[in-house]
Amino acid sequence: MSFDGFPPFISAQLHYLVNHFPERIKVEQVLSGGKTYAGGLDRFTLLIPYCLDYIKWDIIYNAEFPLAPPDVIFGPEDEDFHPLHMTGSVGEGDLKFQNILSDWNHKDPTRLLALIQELRDRYVAYQKKRVGEVDDDRLKFEISTICSREGIEMQISSGAEKPEEVKFAVPLMDMNINKMVHGCPWRHPQKIYLQVIYPVGKKYASTPSPPRLKLMSTTELRALFSIEDVKLPSWLDGMCMAEYLPHLEESLQKQVVEAVSLIDIRRRFIESLAPLFGRPLEADPVFCRKATFLASSGSFVFLVHLLISTQFPKQQPALMLQSSQHISPQGIPKKSPLLSEYPWSPRWETSQMAERIFDFLADESLNFKRFCSESQPQH
Amino acid sequence: MSSLPKEGNRGKVKMEGIEGDASVGGAGRYTLNPTRINSEDILFCVDVDSESLVEMKTAGVNRLDAIKQAILLFVNSKLSINPDHRFAFATLSKSAYWHRKEFSSDVESTIAAVRALSATTVSSGQADLTNLFRLAAHEAKKSRSQNRILRVILIYCRSSIRPHHQWPVNQKLFTLDVMYLHDKPGPDNCPQAVYDALVDALEHVSEYEGYIHESGHGLPRTLFRFMSMLLCHPQQRCSQDDCDIPKPLMKKSAEPANGEDNVHVSTSR
Repeated sequence: MSFDGFPPFISAQLHYLVNHFPERIKVEQVLSGGKTYAGGLDRFTLLIPYCLDYIKWDIIYNAEFPLAPPDVIFGPEDEDFHPLHMTGSVGEGDLKFQNILSDWNHKDPTRLLALIQELRDRYVAYQKKRVGEVDDDRLKFEISTICSREGIEMQISSGAEKPEEVKFAVPLMDMNINKMVHGCPWRHPQKIYLQVIYPVGKKYASTPSPPRLKLMSTTELRALFSIEDVKLPSWLDGMCMAEYLPHLEESLQKQVVEAVSLIDIRRRFIESLAPLFGRPLEADPVFCRKATFLASSGSFVFLVHLLISTQFPKQQPALMLQSSQHISPQGIPKKSPLLSEYPWSPRWETSQMAERIFDFLADESLNFKRFCSESQPQH
Repeated sequence: MSSLPKEGNRGKVKMEGIEGDASVGGAGRYTLNPTRINSEDILFCVDVDSESLVEMKTAGVNRLDAIKQAILLFVNSKLSINPDHRFAFATLSKSAYWHRKEFSSDVESTIAAVRALSATTVSSGQADLTNLFRLAAHEAKKSRSQNRILRVILIYCRSSIRPHHQWPVNQKLFTLDVMYLHDKPGPDNCPQAVYDALVDALEHVSEYEGYIHESGHGLPRTLFRFMSMLLCHPQQRCSQDDCDIPKPLMKKSAEPANGEDNVHVSTSR
């Protein structure tokens, strides 16, 4: 992302923030505060990941007074967030924060990151305190049993129309998934979270309603493991998170280990195609989710794309043919539709899977060849 | 039709119409190792000498027309394999010059750049590849810093002018592939010598295994076929002699192909 139009000192700090913040931070609503725009752009909104969602903070520099630290404006629901006056946090934390602001060195590109990081830490504490103040016995109990877990974030959400709810983002499993994948390309550690949303209890309700549960993960994990495929264990009446989480984690751990072992199953499958289809033009070497081969039918030469899901071999690969010789005047290549209905059994030996796909495509390629020739405009 | 036998490991060039050994490809079994591969920055260097205007067998189509089409087909195929690959363009006359310097995966701008390629009407006389290698080495450093690898695909059209170059022995910073279109060998030309010089260049500078194909038949379809074979990712290649693609998709129970060549190849402009 380029930050054109900012004075260099702001651009440097913004660059550093975006590149070094532990999670993906977004920048929008870039504006100039000055009347004449002479100083350049000096205000923007940061979208900071928090509790599996984003919080929006406006950052206001003043290009005409570069020596001063920026002002930060928090969201409208956080009127009570006063990071400079937080009671209960003593010692180093406070001192550090004061220093960030009082010793503001606008030439130091790491400053904005330090400020945002510190503010976010205080925001975590602030939300924790707010949630702790909610008058709901069950909630208080839940918090007490899980607050020893590292990395939990919580958030109260309420609005005019909505009932008050408390949302928890619970990081699951201490597994270093990155280490389990050979040749892992992920730059950040991949994590799975459980989002738990409690309605704040009405006093007269006899049985508290179960919380809403949702699994979420960092996006890159999808190449290995799809959390949509995970069936959450049911939340039994009267359960609490301290009981639920270990079950879930044990189950997830097994599924992640299985997902890793499936990589090599896919790898062997791609390798088993080579004797029939030739060496692939390109194949995904780390997750083995796709491969492309070059094939011919007479003088017709075409590509064969294979897309292999994380559910392989239960789910058969999706196939697509693409002509290497036909292209529309607009530059769009001729492709077949995605073919995923063909004879298949997960119990076949890989060599048989390869043969059956080969036979299916031998037939399909004749249809495709005809399709390419017929739809070509006559010259 | 003639073959161009060559000493050394580049082997006999396959004549059109004769399938290579279709049983086992590659020296030994193919294995997909869990080693990361990088997205590519591919620099096409197109020979725009007057010999690129020689007519192909298809009426009204010259070599440069067919080359343009082949490049568009290649780019589309490559992007469908991985949309992160990027392309840039240079031309070769006496030496190499930038045509479109920025590497991009945008198809529209690629179409525009390719359409804008035009040939010189007078012969360039010589072909010095040194500047091409210099440009490529410079770009390769940038590519590497972005976690990419650089490949040059040189498309050469001259039947008597052997390309030359000066390059340090140990600098192999990019992969070089060559596609060579030429006239049929005769008393007034020397495509074999040109081919040998291209092989030398490739083996001298190429980081990963480079591939070279040649054709003197003048059929665009042959050019497209060879260009498709250059789609192979350099980091997953076998030695060219072991290359076994494309494989015919034919059921064992089926009738042998009876040479039906009614595939109409588009020549959109």
